[in-house]
Amino acid sequence: MSIVECKDVKKAYRQDHLFVQALGGITVTVARGAFVAIAGPSGSGKTTLLNLIGGLDTADSGRITVDEKTVTSMRQSELAVLRLYKIGFVFQSYNLIPVLSALENVEYVMLLQGVPQRERRERACSILDEVGLKEMYHRRPAELSGGQQQRVAVARAIVSNPSIVLADEPTANLDSKTGKELLQLMEKMNEEREITFIFSTHDQMVMDYARRLIILRDGLVTDDRSRDP
Amino acid sequence: MHLQLAWRNIWRNPRRTTIITIAVVVGVWSMLVVGALDRGMIDQMVRNAIATLTGDIQIHHDGYRSDPVIENSIADPKDVHNALARHLPEGSFWTARVRVNAIVSNARYSTGVTLVGIDPESEARVSFIKTAVVDGHYLASDDTTGILVGRALVDKFETKVGHKLVLMSQDTEREIASRAFRITGTFRAELEATERQFVFVNKAAAQEMLKAGNGISEVSLFLPDHETVDMVRDKLKASLPPAYEVETWRELLPIITAYLSIMDSWIFIWYLVVFIAMGFGIVNTMLMAVFERIREFGLLTALGMKPWWIIKGVLLEAFFLLIMGMAVGNAFGFASVFILNRTGIDLSALGAGAEYVGLPRVIYPTVYIQDVITANVVVFVLGLLITIYPAAKASRFTPVEALAHI
Amino acid sequence: MDTKMAWRNIWRNRRRTFLTMTAIAFAGALLVFMLSFQFGSYEVMINSAVKIHTGHLQVQAEGYNERKDIRLVVPDPEAVAAVLEKTPGIEAYTFRATTFSLVSSRDRTYGIAVIGIDPKGEARVSTISDIIREGEYFSDDATSQALVGELLARNLHVRPGDELTLLGQGRDGSIAATVVAVKGVYRSGQDEFDRGALQIPLALFQDVFAMGEAVHEVVALCTSLGAVPEAKGTLSAALTRLNENRPLVALDWKELMPGLYQGISIDLISGLIMYVLLIVVVAFSILNTFLMAIFERTREFGVMMAMGTTPGRLTKLLLMESSMITIFGIVGGMIVGGLVTWYFQVDGINLGGDVSEIMREFGISGRLYPQLSLLSLSFGPGAVLIITLLTSLYPALRVRRFRPVEALTYV
Ligand SMILES: Nc1ncnc2c1ncn2[C@@H]1O[C@H](COP(=O)(O)OP(=O)(O)OP(=O)(O)O)[C@@H](O)[C@H]1O
Ligand SMILES: [Mg+2]
Repeated sequence: MSIVECKDVKKAYRQDHLFVQALGGITVTVARGAFVAIAGPSGSGKTTLLNLIGGLDTADSGRITVDEKTVTSMRQSELAVLRLYKIGFVFQSYNLIPVLSALENVEYVMLLQGVPQRERRERACSILDEVGLKEMYHRRPAELSGGQQQRVAVARAIVSNPSIVLADEPTANLDSKTGKELLQLMEKMNEEREITFIFSTHDQMVMDYARRLIILRDGLVTDDRSRDP
Repeated sequence: MHLQLAWRNIWRNPRRTTIITIAVVVGVWSMLVVGALDRGMIDQMVRNAIATLTGDIQIHHDGYRSDPVIENSIADPKDVHNALARHLPEGSFWTARVRVNAIVSNARYSTGVTLVGIDPESEARVSFIKTAVVDGHYLASDDTTGILVGRALVDKFETKVGHKLVLMSQDTEREIASRAFRITGTFRAELEATERQFVFVNKAAAQEMLKAGNGISEVSLFLPDHETVDMVRDKLKASLPPAYEVETWRELLPIITAYLSIMDSWIFIWYLVVFIAMGFGIVNTMLMAVFERIREFGLLTALGMKPWWIIKGVLLEAFFLLIMGMAVGNAFGFASVFILNRTGIDLSALGAGAEYVGLPRVIYPTVYIQDVITANVVVFVLGLLITIYPAAKASRFTPVEALAHI
Repeated sequence: MDTKMAWRNIWRNRRRTFLTMTAIAFAGALLVFMLSFQFGSYEVMINSAVKIHTGHLQVQAEGYNERKDIRLVVPDPEAVAAVLEKTPGIEAYTFRATTFSLVSSRDRTYGIAVIGIDPKGEARVSTISDIIREGEYFSDDATSQALVGELLARNLHVRPGDELTLLGQGRDGSIAATVVAVKGVYRSGQDEFDRGALQIPLALFQDVFAMGEAVHEVVALCTSLGAVPEAKGTLSAALTRLNENRPLVALDWKELMPGLYQGISIDLISGLIMYVLLIVVVAFSILNTFLMAIFERTREFGVMMAMGTTPGRLTKLLLMESSMITIFGIVGGMIVGGLVTWYFQVDGINLGGDVSEIMREFGISGRLYPQLSLLSLSFGPGAVLIITLLTSLYPALRVRRFRPVEALTYV
């Protein structure tokens, strides 16, 4: 059963006189529980595709469904709700709300969902423990290393058990060791919680972790292969 | 080069620059307009008061001002005539009046008024009265029974042009003299109080009624150049015996003089207050602008840029903001004052209240060049002065600090 | 948590927040002081005018206020008094009769207003018994005596003990004449009053001017200025039941002294116009702070939106932040303005020669005491609050136009 379906998704950017066909007709499906990497050269459309799946941006044509809901026909407010419950995001940098501590950053998502205070606190603590930040509940983002920040971001992305986590180059700002640890963490979450992960990357090491690798080039899928289990 | 750089820097963030410029524009505009309104108001008050009966200078017998009765009149105006003939500058006008308290009555009403005996011809050149007549006509020189009364008094007495009024006053022999007059005309004045207070008859008629002979209560004169008031006063004083009092309108109108003297400080205080209000905005905006470019400044310092150059650069940016705001603010200010001055601001709808606080019926806002200069100097100098703070901050960013800043 | 976030956000840039708060506080404090100052002077103006001239309320024959005709009388003042006794909010009342008359001393003759006052009642209602400078106030059974203003006394060349002749017209048209002795000379500080009026006992007035039992004005003082409207309402209703052949009306100080009331309104309005200009300048100078707060944090908003934060919630957060800054500024302004005002309220302000001269014209002599009141404390800051919050609305609503992707890629 698939969690994400893209059907002939097209997206172009017009800026002044410039016209860029960022995505030229993408058709992919991602199965529930998958651990997928999207790779490709710079400018190939990875970020654009992730943004469209996450409902951060709207496609020009084509159809995207996430968990059987058609993202491409939703209004902004519906998209906000979709993102809140179904999708978690991890970005390359500037991931966290700077004025909130690690714990509060994680709690914030649940606050938006209306989870009661006490449950929020418990779940946030346990997820932070799980990602290995037991000692760091009350640190602000500025007081955490890049790797730790990304861990908080992962914790925040999965704390409300979304169907899918979208991560745009989550390891790009990290050294290879820290990047590896982050990937192991994501893999663990994928296996334990059966959350689908889709992430983009440039990094060969990251691609090796993925169980399925989609290669984009000039806005088109040029390769799509699954690693044997 | 520096100028160009500063100019480009302020347009890196057009929105912010526009907003702070608007703050300066609104500030400068309100400085000019409020200043011009106040000046226009007080100017009009002075003009009205001078035109009503005061004139630029008055001459009295020295007892008259504290005890304004016919006994204290200038019995023989010859000395005065001579002095005036010798010392008045070309283009001056003067008139002599009898002016005493009196009671006016008709069959139903009576009230206290100031009886003014005038020489219709010379009076017309000195005071407002000839042009103020709205019903009937002005006094003829040989009309010894005619009287001019204010519109408010006519209304109160339920009378009209052609009807009779009786005047009573104390004559030189301390007896009550009374005489009947016929209303030849009614006048309107800037203040209703003036319409209620004054009645005008021929000087000769008043002198006869009061048994005053040639005596007059006051001489009022009108100079072609108001700047020479003090000089003329001094000359007249010197050439008249000490029994005469020669006073300028400033001495005759203490309240208006008091208004005039606090005007400068009042306007200056308003400028300061408005400046402080926009000063916070200027400092904040400049602080934002330099903190945004903290890396840039850090780098420049690292490259060996002298702090003074950085300060100069930031001050130049503030200079442009201020100059733009001032240019537009002044333009709007002048434009609005120009328009308001054309039309005048009609306060007559405010009625009794305006009269109570002494406001004229129509205000013509007037720009005083000295106010414009003060306003702009305040904004410009203080504006640059407070920018020294963000500028000094910018010059002291170290490269380390700069890199630590996200 | 939203509150906590807002609170922490405003302190991300301490200097800027502090400057913004100070700007708001400055405007707030200035307005508190200025309005207290204005209200203080209005109160003095009204009180001195009310105490000297008109009282808070008067009962007169209809039309008397406009025409001052001696024939328009209150025929049975005791009946009105009985009504006043039962009217809540009335502190004291007295009777007066007024007419224009010739007054002659040995040397001088002037035409002025002669006012008949009830020695006992007048002392309760007006200040005249307290401002005698020379001689004495009337005794309760005063007969042929008069009180004159200082300037009139000077004009007439009289001192206490000197005689004055009054000559006028009685209510019935007859010639009215009497001789009175100057009992006291008073100074109210208001030149017009000190120059243009003379008081004699009411009984003498009624006798000389053929008034019988009638008077022209029943003058009442209320417990406070605020009690006037209600007392007037009650009184008006009761007067219609009195059944006089010419209707009686109740007039308040605003109707009795329209110039004073409108003059105060004009002063207040012109003040308000200037305050609004000032607040607008303040608003523009802090608009940048509020706007920058959103543009600096665009990426952050992008992340928050990606997490599912709705634009409405962002707006709420931003409004919370600007309200916090505003409220802190306002409260600071109220405290500073209140303290400064309070300091001057205790000590009074000496405005110096020229200003005092002008103030005297409006019945304010000596030091001026600003009046801190709930109104003067809240009105200015309230206006600043409203305009500042309106200002912050623009950035707060602007954030709704942000699209997540653009926000995330904003540099
Ligand atoms: N907001 C935009 N306006 C105009 N063009 C854009 C915009 N965003 C992306 N593009 C263009 O769309 C294409 C795809 O961009 P995208 O960011 O998806 O690439 P990417 O694969 O994520 O690249 P990278 O690996 O460098 O992050 C590029 O050619 C880019 O220049
Ligand atoms: Mg990308």
